[in-house]
Amino acid sequence: MELYHTLYITLLVLFSFLMLICLIRAVKGPQVADRLMAVNMMGTMVMVMISVLALLLNEGYLVDICLIYAMISFLAVVVLSKVYIGIYEERVRKKNAEEGSLHDSH
Amino acid sequence: MTAIEWVRFLIGSLFLLIGIIMFITELYGVFHFKYVLNRMHAAAMGDTLAISACLLGLMIFSGFNFTTLKLFLIIVFLWFASPVSSHVLARLEIATNEKLSQHCEIYQDVSDLERELADRKKAEANSPADTAKEKEVSAL
Repeated sequence: MELYHTLYITLLVLFSFLMLICLIRAVKGPQVADRLMAVNMMGTMVMVMISVLALLLNEGYLVDICLIYAMISFLAVVVLSKVYIGIYEERVRKKNAEEGSLHDSH
Repeated sequence: MTAIEWVRFLIGSLFLLIGIIMFITELYGVFHFKYVLNRMHAAAMGDTLAISACLLGLMIFSGFNFTTLKLFLIIVFLWFASPVSSHVLARLEIATNEKLSQHCEIYQDVSDLERELADRKKAEANSPADTAKEKEVSAL
């Protein structure tokens, strides 16, 4: 059992380092899609970490939380991208309207 | 620990090792590629393959109980959710990037693409003959 404990702790430490690298991508990413993709990757790693924690603490219900986490992170990506497409289209429409009014005044 | 427990431990750790190697490959790909649509290819691999390998290792550790079933449900859910989220992200990139033609070729019509691919294939079929002719000429 000591062996399993050591393995789980090692896994948790490793995944926290990998998540840090993901965070660097999320900060650096030039486009919004880059950042969303990095957040999605971090979500995947957090899912593995929660599952490891469930086995480490020997608490089966933590896996339920992991399942809900998967659903919420999927929903977050879909909703955020839809919202951003909406914001972008609104911005383009506003810009076009301003250009149209400038053109009329000339 | 008995011999069977040792074998279980080793097989489980092997799967976890494969998963971590896949995660590291994913991160390398995400930093290696220069554009989002290329990076997405590397990121989708981690969402399905890497987490499947990791959870399979944990399932072997957990043994035959209800936790294993729930871990399997996570894998099944991610198999459905990951392609959809990748598709939505790609649509976001296509819809919002104004300088898309700098990063990839854009075809307004599928028939244009098919025509160009056919041309390329024809050119490839011709080019080996050309180089052979050139070789003959240079030999002469």
